[in-house]
Amino acid sequence: MTDILRIKDLKVEFVLPHMRVKAVENVSFRIGAQETVALVGESGSGKSTISQAIMGLLPKSAQITKGSIIFADPKTPGTRVDLAMLDRSGTEMRAIRGGRISMIFQEPMSSLSPLHTIGDQICEAVRLHRKVGRAEANELAIEMLTLIGFPQPKRSLKTYPFELSGGLRQRAMIAMAMVCRPALLVADEPTTALDVTIQAQILRLIKEVQSELQMSVLLITHDLGVVANMADRMVVVYDGRVVESGRTDDVFINPGHAYTQSLLAAVPHFNMGPDERLRPLREIKPKTGSLLAEERPADPVRDSQEIPPSLALHPAMASEPVLAVRHLSKSFTTRKGNWLKSEESLIPAVDDVSLTVNRGECVGLVGESGCGKTTLSKLIMRAMEPDDGSILFRGESGQMTELTGLDEDQLNPYRKRIQFVFQDPFGSLNPRMTVQDIIAEPMIIHGVGDTAYRKKMVLELMDLVGLDPRFLSRYPHSFSGGQRQRIGIARALSLKPDLLIFDEPTSALDVSVQAQILNLLKDLQRDLNLTYLFISHNLAVVDYIADRIAVMCAGRIVESAPREQLFKNPVHPYTQALLNAVPFADLDHLLDFDKIVDGKASDPSRWPAPFTINATSAPKMMQFAEDHFVRAERADFTEIAI
Amino acid sequence: MLTYLARRLFVMVPTLILISVLVFVIIQLPPGDFLSTYLNELQSQGEAVDPAKIEFLKQQYGLDQPIYIQYAEWAWGLLHGDLGFSFEYNLPVSDVVGDRLWLSMVLNFSTVIFIYIVSFPIGIYSATRQYSWGDYGFTLLGFLGLAMPNFLFALILLYYANVIFGTSIGGLMDPEFINQGWSFAKMMSVAEHLWAPVVVIGTSGTASMIRRLRANLLDELSKQYVVTAHAKGLSPTKVLFKYPLRMALNPFIADIGNILPQVVSGSVLVSVVMSLPTTGPMLLTALQSQDMYLAGSFLMFLALLTVVGMFISDVLLAWLDPRIRLQGGISK
Repeated sequence: MTDILRIKDLKVEFVLPHMRVKAVENVSFRIGAQETVALVGESGSGKSTISQAIMGLLPKSAQITKGSIIFADPKTPGTRVDLAMLDRSGTEMRAIRGGRISMIFQEPMSSLSPLHTIGDQICEAVRLHRKVGRAEANELAIEMLTLIGFPQPKRSLKTYPFELSGGLRQRAMIAMAMVCRPALLVADEPTTALDVTIQAQILRLIKEVQSELQMSVLLITHDLGVVANMADRMVVVYDGRVVESGRTDDVFINPGHAYTQSLLAAVPHFNMGPDERLRPLREIKPKTGSLLAEERPADPVRDSQEIPPSLALHPAMASEPVLAVRHLSKSFTTRKGNWLKSEESLIPAVDDVSLTVNRGECVGLVGESGCGKTTLSKLIMRAMEPDDGSILFRGESGQMTELTGLDEDQLNPYRKRIQFVFQDPFGSLNPRMTVQDIIAEPMIIHGVGDTAYRKKMVLELMDLVGLDPRFLSRYPHSFSGGQRQRIGIARALSLKPDLLIFDEPTSALDVSVQAQILNLLKDLQRDLNLTYLFISHNLAVVDYIADRIAVMCAGRIVESAPREQLFKNPVHPYTQALLNAVPFADLDHLLDFDKIVDGKASDPSRWPAPFTINATSAPKMMQFAEDHFVRAERADFTEIAI
Repeated sequence: MLTYLARRLFVMVPTLILISVLVFVIIQLPPGDFLSTYLNELQSQGEAVDPAKIEFLKQQYGLDQPIYIQYAEWAWGLLHGDLGFSFEYNLPVSDVVGDRLWLSMVLNFSTVIFIYIVSFPIGIYSATRQYSWGDYGFTLLGFLGLAMPNFLFALILLYYANVIFGTSIGGLMDPEFINQGWSFAKMMSVAEHLWAPVVVIGTSGTASMIRRLRANLLDELSKQYVVTAHAKGLSPTKVLFKYPLRMALNPFIADIGNILPQVVSGSVLVSVVMSLPTTGPMLLTALQSQDMYLAGSFLMFLALLTVVGMFISDVLLAWLDPRIRLQGGISK
């Protein structure tokens, strides 16, 4: 038997005072020696419950009511332990947990104790499972940190988790899990909370350590891109049951179960044709009513099912800019020291950003966390005052108006024209207001229409985003994440804005729901001739929805180009690094782990010659091709690009 | 860390100066002063008062001076350990206060320690066995302790101690030691009497502390790093003590500064009921008769307790929590 773990007929139930809830039923799969198995499913599918059952970390109310989890430790051949039968906090289980099977978690921020040093937390794991002294444990910890690629491993032992970046924290977490050289690593969404470039580094690291230590990996994820790049076999779970399992390439090429098929069809990927659509599990058909369509003479067609999207745009309107941002800058001050002597330092959050959004188009803004994309959106909304630069916006008069320098009263009419959809569908809706109140609120604030108009408009908007108007008197908590996001979109549309800004609207949603929302946004844009500024960290999503894409890094836009141009011919090293790091759910486009460089991609001072940004050189945007701009010192980067 | 300590100590100086000004102003706020209160009392008893004598007394006590000079003299005296002169007792304040200051400090510190010792195990028990019978039992007791006024509890205790055990638990020592010099026997007597007021004053504090520790710990227990610790294979007790309990400690340490004055002011009524020779009852009468230096000394004592308590808790926090120690100076 070469299998390390065999799960058979596993059933986990949550026993509540008055009922039993099935979390997982009839789950069987196996993990071979040195194999990577991916457990794929959306939120609520029970994949985390399975991992908790393996680790003996189920919550108190959960019980394994049927089945077995047989663990055959390769270190002691011939022995088999049924993990399902062991006492969860007994000595036997504790010897396996952390010693032979370890786990890494999603949130590197919260899964390490902030009060203890990295060294303390790693050495604790060593000394629990091996009879070693303090000094020897330190040695082992340093050895593991070196293997994990920690800079200055000896010094890092004394650092606290909050002193490290997200990527380094996850590395420390991996070091902690690996230090006892386990036979099986359970990785629960290990890279979901990380930026793409960091994600690629961590994925590469897991692969390297896996072959170094000859262990098996159970990878729990919702990201099919990660699965395609990491897993030998995959197990698809849906509603607590395994719906399909097999070799990764078999499942990807020839998915057997309808759920797997729809999951694969819902993931946006590169080289999608211009008219190719994602296929969510449930499609929403937006219905436009009379109120939303009126006053929009530019839109000649309403029932656009038969007409290709390119015709829906009025050619004259298409080139007219709605928003033009010029050389916008914003810095934050950090103060260090005490009130006797303090050093103030300026940290540029947005630096010399220029951006144009034309009517009827969707501009995508891509960047990693902390690159300033949200700050930029706040500046455009004038939720924050820019330090420098101008924001021109086409108001109702048809004239471009300078928004900076206007006071609150003067700004009010423009606030109506720019609306915002937030990332977190849970936090952005007031839990004490009904859906009716939430969608009508912007109209009440701006005094649009009378009660009858508002009522009709709200009904129409519900239809538009595919929600049943009978839900109007419900409160947000009774809706799912995707439905809430649709309520947020309806609210943003209620004022018939000229420009909609989306700040990561789908990053909190499951893939199938994401596909649903993205399709809805595409349809709405076509039907109502809307203009979008779409902010996201997910290149594939932006690729699917945007016409033009601007790539942002460290507060600056480094490259902007039409969609196909950017993906076919990325010029800037950062764009290239970003594109190289995205794991696509496509076996023909696997990550090239050799191309992934550790942590240099997002540091402007380390970019090669014409792109370097440091104290001595501050490159401007240069034209590379038609509508394709790159931030570089000289225009001679053509040869570098190819 | 050293610079932090130095800075923190340095900040205490202006704080105390400001408090002393406030204390003085507040004492002066009610119309009149000790003499006018005294005068009214005499007149209401139908006694005639010689205006010349009043004038003499005013000069004697410096009450005819402008308020800032009065303050300056008082503050200058405080710095030299001279607490001023009590009008009512016709004695220097330090003589009036005497042992009371020390006794109330002993009482209050014992109460704080009692609160911590009792509430910690119970709080941990309640949090780790949430919704068990034990948890419900302690919760009930806790709410009883919170809801019952201290002085009522004191009365009940006094009554039953007398009826059942035939002992008097009032006072802080046996009557024969009052106004005696300190001796070993007197200390033993104090220790014997101390438990009753400590329990009475400490009950409500213990109850609220249990509730807070339980809530804090429950929050921490569901955090991800606790799962990580379990995933390492640590035993549940070790996990509890090393990780969530240490995180849950922060609010308590931060509370030391608050709990001291709370206990002190909460003990006033109890002290009256149980006739404890502490500062509380004396502060009450001093404020009523506008015996300004006596009252001022007491209030300054309370302020000092608070400021020192805050200092202790800040230092402990910085020592225990690296986030405060290492990131404290950085702010946005």
